[in-house]
Formats: sequence, C-alpha cells, structure tokens
Amino acid sequence: MSREATIEQLKSIVKPYIQNQEAFDSLTEETDFVNDLRINSANLVDVILDIEEKFDIIIDNESMEKMVNVKAAIGVIEAELLKE
Amino acid sequence: MIGNDIVDLDLARLESNWKRKGFLGKIFSLQEQCLILDSSNPERMVWNLWSRKEAVYKIYNRETGIRGYFPERLQCNYEDETSGTVSIDDFIFYTQTYITDFYVYSIAVSEIDFFNKIQSLESLDNIKKNDGVPYILDVSSNAIAPVSITHHGRFQKIITLRQ
Repeated sequence: MSREATIEQLKSIVKPYIQNQEAFDSLTEETDFVNDLRINSANLVDVILDIEEKFDIIIDNESMEKMVNVKAAIGVIEAELLKE
Repeated sequence: MIGNDIVDLDLARLESNWKRKGFLGKIFSLQEQCLILDSSNPERMVWNLWSRKEAVYKIYNRETGIRGYFPERLQCNYEDETSGTVSIDDFIFYTQTYITDFYVYSIAVSEIDFFNKIQSLESLDNIKKNDGVPYILDVSSNAIAPVSITHHGRFQKIITLRQ
C-alpha cells in the first residue's frame, strides 16, 4: 500500500472523532491528533481500535504510546503491515 | 505540580462506547478492569479511573516533558470512590475525585499537602501559557503559580496552587 493510500485510509478513520475541521482539511504527516485535530483523548482508543480493524493489524501498548500524530501512526501501521 | 480532568457523563455517553471490544484493555490494567466489572456502576468507574489517569498525565507530562499515549501504564491504586494514588515509573501521584450525577472530576497532585493549597479559579483571565502549559502570575508576590484547566461538554474547571 502506498503512503498516500495509507494516509487516506487513516483520514477516513479519524474523521468521525475530529473537532477541528480546518486542521483535518489541511492534514499532513505532522498533524497532531490531540493538539491539532482536537480528538478527545478517550477517542484516541477508538482511533487505535479502528486502525486495528481496518488494517487487520494488532497494535501493542508500546506502539500505541508513540501514536500522537499522523506520522507516528503511519509508521506503526507500515511496520505492522511489513510483518505479515 | 497539579493536574485536573473532568468528564461530562452525558457527553461521554455520546462520544465513547466503553463496552466496545478491546476498549478497556487499551486503557486499563487487568486489576483496574476487575474494579470496573465488579463495580455496581461500571460506567462511572470507567470515567472515575480515566479522569485520575488524565489528571496525573498532565503532571507527568509537565514534569518529564514526555508526551505519548500510555493510559495503561498510569496505574491506579484505588482506595475508594474519592481517593487514591496513581503511579508510573518511579513516580507516585495523589488523586481526589468528585462525583455527581452529571460529571466525574479528578484533581491530582505531586505532593499530598498540595490538596490544602488548591484554589479554584472562575475565569481564564490573567492565565498565560508557556509552551502550552498554563500558569498565573501572582501580582502581590510576583511568583508564578501553576494552573490546570479541564473542559468537557458543559463543564470547565480551572485550578491553581495557592502560594
């Protein structure tokens, strides 16, 4: 899967939880889930669970720890997909 | 250092489904999950423990500069509905939790006697931010006091540490 496609899929996953449309519309790899997209921190769990379901991967707590922005999330997704 | 976190229970019901498969496991240790499932009000226990972890995370983040998403590593030692401690690495923090029908609200401190010095503020006036961390300047003593702000749904709480 190309990085662009992964980002597009990640965008569709976070969309229901964002509270800042402007930051979402101009999303880049540097976009922060909490500070920029204003995702409620309890909903970050939903983002992680949705990623697990949509990409059919398992994210352990160590990986989850780093997932504060788009870049880190993509990194974790790509690393997990490579394991398969 | 101080931290606080409030959960608007009506909004939490709309935003989160804590019964979702996998949800509790990402946030809570097995021991904490037992507390939740054995509770007479599991939903309230979810947000009680969650607000303690969030309040403590604010202190931990400010003291260590570490940012990340590790709710499960913030371990609650639940004494009763209103008090307990939360530990992570070699740190231990103290929490007090206030519960109404409408919200669950936790305050965390790094030293237990800080609870006597917590003062509520009614407005954001005079609160400044340094690197995203709020503080207030006490004009009489010219000292900087830490501030913690939490907002969820209908509720906002602002606290500071009286000098």
